[in-house]
Amino acid sequence: MKTSSWVQLRALFGLRWRMIRSDGVRVAMILVVIFLIWLMVLVAHGAAALDEVQLATAVEVAPQAFLGFGVLAVIAPLTAGGGNEIVPPDQLVAYPIRPRTQFLGGLVLTPLNLVWILQILALIAETAFVTRGGDASLGAITTVAYVTALTALGQALAWTVVGLRQSSRGRVVVALIGSSGLVAAVLAVKTGIGSALVDASPTRTVVHGITAGAHEDWLRWALTTAGLVALTVLGLALGERTCGWALRRPSDVGTLRAAHAVRRRPHHASALRALVAMDRASIWRAPALRRGALVLAVLPGLAAAGAQVPWQSLVVLPGLVAAGAGLLFGINAFCLDGSGAVFLASLPHDPRLIARAKTVVLTETVLASVVIAALAGSLRSRGTPTAADVTGIVASGLACTLLVVSRCMASSVRRPHKAELKGPRDAVAPPGALALASARLAISTGLLGVALGAATASGRWWAPVALATPVLLLCWLSLHRSLSMWADPVVRARIVHTVSAG
Amino acid sequence: MEPVAPAPMLFAQHLVVDFGEVRAVAGFDLSVAAGASVALVGRNGAGKSTTMRVLSGVLPPTSGTVTVAGIQASTDPSGVRAVVGYCPDVGGLIPRATPWEHLQLAARLRGMRDWEERARDLLERFDLATAADRVTAGFSHGMGRRLSVVLAAFHSPRLLLLDEPFDGVDPLGVDATLDVIREARATGTAVLVSTHLLHLAVEACEEAVVLRGGRVVAAAPAAELAGEAGRDRYRALIS
Repeated sequence: MKTSSWVQLRALFGLRWRMIRSDGVRVAMILVVIFLIWLMVLVAHGAAALDEVQLATAVEVAPQAFLGFGVLAVIAPLTAGGGNEIVPPDQLVAYPIRPRTQFLGGLVLTPLNLVWILQILALIAETAFVTRGGDASLGAITTVAYVTALTALGQALAWTVVGLRQSSRGRVVVALIGSSGLVAAVLAVKTGIGSALVDASPTRTVVHGITAGAHEDWLRWALTTAGLVALTVLGLALGERTCGWALRRPSDVGTLRAAHAVRRRPHHASALRALVAMDRASIWRAPALRRGALVLAVLPGLAAAGAQVPWQSLVVLPGLVAAGAGLLFGINAFCLDGSGAVFLASLPHDPRLIARAKTVVLTETVLASVVIAALAGSLRSRGTPTAADVTGIVASGLACTLLVVSRCMASSVRRPHKAELKGPRDAVAPPGALALASARLAISTGLLGVALGAATASGRWWAPVALATPVLLLCWLSLHRSLSMWADPVVRARIVHTVSAG
Repeated sequence: MEPVAPAPMLFAQHLVVDFGEVRAVAGFDLSVAAGASVALVGRNGAGKSTTMRVLSGVLPPTSGTVTVAGIQASTDPSGVRAVVGYCPDVGGLIPRATPWEHLQLAARLRGMRDWEERARDLLERFDLATAADRVTAGFSHGMGRRLSVVLAAFHSPRLLLLDEPFDGVDPLGVDATLDVIREARATGTAVLVSTHLLHLAVEACEEAVVLRGGRVVAAAPAAELAGEAGRDRYRALIS
């Protein structure tokens, strides 16, 4: 007897809900949902507060905002390897979970992404702006249809890529398409045709459709909305099929991995260097982390270069990039050792070395992504930076990096998770924990970036330095506290047990 | 004058391990002499693996004392880990590192010199030489078990702790493990083997200790657990 996907989905979400560690976390999750709904209502009513000039600007950028969401809807599931998992697949091998259930589960979990939520808030605001003076409800329906269609189509595309990447030929095809896209994006940025491409975006039609609903142009509204609903249906049908195809396809990755010999490295000069080398290898050899590292190395820099941000705005950039880099593995750094954490714990050494090695690797990962993004962004910034701009960017880079490292190590010590990281779709933490960590990191680095931006805007070169110094000190103390906690044998045993056995 | 008995290689006294409300080990006492081998047997959840973790220095006990080769675990945990070789019950391998990298790291952290020949010999004997440079994530369960035994025996420890070393291992791997135990004992290493495979426990060890509810309920020569009569006696002890 076959169980319907919705029944399976309900059972899996029920299981996930019961697996939450405490009632406090459950209450917090409900409060977060209520807060987000309140925020959405607040944003929807924000249109009334804008004057005509502000409103005209907001309406002008509406197609870009919708296009931005479209790009995210494609990139987010691609980087997650097909969408989030309700329960890790290796824990479900004994159950007949249908591909449709997996696909729908990924769709339902899409909002567990801070950037997605921010984009949704932007779309709600834009919908309110372009429908001001008319009935916003019809426009809202069109926006919902747009969001659903793009999310479903994005996930269908991601599953297609997952399926293609199961074979070595498919991986070559995906790499070729990906690098061609990257070259095209770089060329578009370099030649300055990016804005022309944005102007020609089909999201203009969507925005006109939304506006039509508010101004009683029923035919235009109906045609646009019906088109988006048709795309949603297409996305759902395609997604279900591509997900099933991708999961059914035999993968040759395991065979290649088993047969592939790794080059031996010389004996390391110190224990710390040996542990750092082991952690670097653990990151690079995990498909999901390798893909994430490549995305971090390319996307923020490309976006910064494409946006042609002024020098002063570059101060905010390190915060955004550092938060993303911390999510790669930093929030659960000890999971890199997997069950080998027990092996490491049985070796005679200063236990702080293991935490120090993780800190070193995390710091270099975050700092590298921040430096790449800042350099790429600065290539296309106009004019010459002032002394305050330079100290602002450097202070922001250092402070945001240390902030993310200290928060990540605190999270790794206090809230460890088991994460196998075997396949391309494995994440370092469950979706909810990942979403919470991303919100924590983004809010703290965002606020720090804004504060440093304000200090830079004062025009005094020492202002960002003066603001960053106590932040660096506090972060250093927090990091020291986390490393001391790890040095406690009882805390360490709990972490080792969790990351090695679950 | 009576001869003074040599100090035991392993001496555990009144070990207690609590996980919140659950008492996993409830007053474990054991003494193992140098060159002796003891089988730790009992039902699932009897506290065997938790005890092994405590003896290896991976898990601190709630109370009680552990002394290995005269070194107190509470005052010098790193010193204890230096003389102990531990094969955990599951996993115990860094998933994206190769066997050679595991051995290299162990040699570095244990301060071993000229370790390569010993590493190659062990890998050869456990039929892992051709897989020495492949990441362990692609290993079968049996290969992983064999590598864990290699890592435990690598530095010729004074106390060898093997938790389920035969689980899912083929006959050649079992023979290699039994050889390692014999060699270790011959050089004065105390060996503690935890296993559910009673016939292998009897073959590998001279004594057997039965655990129930986190404490030792019986200790006897391992040979007494051999055959049908031994199995019946064992069932009576654990039920």
